[in-house]
Amino acid sequence: MATSVSAAPPTRGGPAGASEVVGRPDAHRKRMARLGWMFTSPALLFIGLVTLFPIGFSVLLSFENVNVTANGFSLNGLTTANYSLVLGNSTWHYALGFTVGYTIITVLAEVVIGTLIALVLERMVRGRGWMMALLLIPWSLVTVISAELWKYIYDPTYGFADGLLHTLGLGSPVILGSNVSAIIALMVADVWKTTPFVSIIVLAGLVMLPGEIYEAAEVDGATGWTTFWKITFPLLRPTIALAVLFRVLQAFGLFDLPFVLTQGGPGTATTSLAVLGYQATFNDYKYGPGAAVATTTALLVVLGCFAFLKVFRSQVGEEDAG
Amino acid sequence: MRTRKRQGWHRYINGVTVGTTLTVLFVTLPLLWMISSSFKGPAGIGSDSVLPHNVSTINYTSAFQHNGFGHYILNSVIVAVVSTILVLTLGTMAGYALGRLPMRAKLPVMVTLLMISVFPAIAVIVPLFLIMKDLGWLNSYQALIVPYTAFNLPFAIWILRNYMLGIPKEMEETARIDGAGPITTLWKIIIPQARPGLFTAGIFTFTACWTEFLMAISFNSVNAYRTIPVGIALFGSQFTIPYGTIFAASAAAAVPIAVLVLVFRKSVVSGLTAGAVKG
Repeated sequence: MATSVSAAPPTRGGPAGASEVVGRPDAHRKRMARLGWMFTSPALLFIGLVTLFPIGFSVLLSFENVNVTANGFSLNGLTTANYSLVLGNSTWHYALGFTVGYTIITVLAEVVIGTLIALVLERMVRGRGWMMALLLIPWSLVTVISAELWKYIYDPTYGFADGLLHTLGLGSPVILGSNVSAIIALMVADVWKTTPFVSIIVLAGLVMLPGEIYEAAEVDGATGWTTFWKITFPLLRPTIALAVLFRVLQAFGLFDLPFVLTQGGPGTATTSLAVLGYQATFNDYKYGPGAAVATTTALLVVLGCFAFLKVFRSQVGEEDAG
Repeated sequence: MRTRKRQGWHRYINGVTVGTTLTVLFVTLPLLWMISSSFKGPAGIGSDSVLPHNVSTINYTSAFQHNGFGHYILNSVIVAVVSTILVLTLGTMAGYALGRLPMRAKLPVMVTLLMISVFPAIAVIVPLFLIMKDLGWLNSYQALIVPYTAFNLPFAIWILRNYMLGIPKEMEETARIDGAGPITTLWKIIIPQARPGLFTAGIFTFTACWTEFLMAISFNSVNAYRTIPVGIALFGSQFTIPYGTIFAASAAAAVPIAVLVLVFRKSVVSGLTAGAVKG
């Protein structure tokens, strides 16, 4: 990944004067390319230094004996102890399984509900702009705030969720007190916050679909259900795939919501990989194992990115060729 | 767009109106409850009444006067504004070059940027924390401004590049024949044309900085440098949760952004869909 940064040729000289403009076409092209790298390198250097370099450093740390000192840290030799500690740890196994399961279930729920909302909004004759604006509010909300809001809703003393469950004949459980209900509660809060994002993306895809196909389908007497599965869904698949990948990668970094809502509990029931990495680093000062958790998470994300890449390659490649 | 003729009661009660109503309730009810609770006095918190019986601003007094929430807002504004300016400056230059100049290796650069923009922050928290500890940067504005700029730049470059691609080539050519240098062309021709893209990228960066939590709590946990999310998360103690104060602070933090997003909803929607629909 770092190659793209170092691929920039050294930038020499400033932009040439206007008198040189009418030169040979490929000389001009060459100069413009150099100018391009000059314009791009500050951003790429900044990104490289703050994201790619730390990722590399994190890989190194994960193989090091890291000792915390009074005003910094010291590295005391290579070791694989961090990985054997993490990979053999049942909390890590659980966090991995929880994060994967959580990601699959929430993204699935968000895509189904989000697509339904998008289908409804697409049929709205008036006020669609305002509905989209409304959907943007949860998206723009600080996740910590939505976590506090749901904590209040789930609170056995103050909230209304347990009363609602009681009315529905589901008993009156302490919602954040038991493993299964805490996980469900977390998922509900997540779906509330991020479904609008999915519906806006799907709606944008729906609006772009050619109308003539539907007219033809209507003439052929296709029902709404058939039309959706035979026409809308196949055409919409790239859009949905994109929303899914965006959301999967985001959900995999799950941190804010469990940190505030459940502190990873009860026990470790809602400890995601990010929460585990944070706790190892900042509660237990175990930088080496913390880096090992971070590195394994990053590795999984890179694998996810390759899937992402497959979807995107055609799009980017087409534009790049021009 | 498809429209169907509906007759009788189907005109008023149908899938669209029912679905819309459910969506509106689903989205707004929790939010309205939060805002209404922020105006309830200590006795009103926890009562099942929807509206506060006696409108009280005691929670706002508690948040701003006793808990210094105003200072957290100031910190968030400083960090978000500086990061947004940096992102737009660096992102415009890079977006222009990647969109319009004949460079090699554009594809690997754009794909790498895309990967970085979805990378979870936890992957860099430990190394960045140690580097910042070494530099003495923990609990400072730059501790957040630098990573926020780096993490938001990739997406901004993508959006800006997409807008720049759409500007007609002739305008640039005319400027070139008139003797304008590349920097003049960028400043006088490209930037005014790409203004919607700058808007979108700006709103996205600002919102992302305003809501970011993991880095903020890892690098700036000292009271003087807490941003809004950290301030709200650390309100209260282990035993009591001051919901009234939390909701007053939350409403104060959420309403300006919600207004911003509602006003610029077109830019935000076009930014969200930049990846889904060809730019």
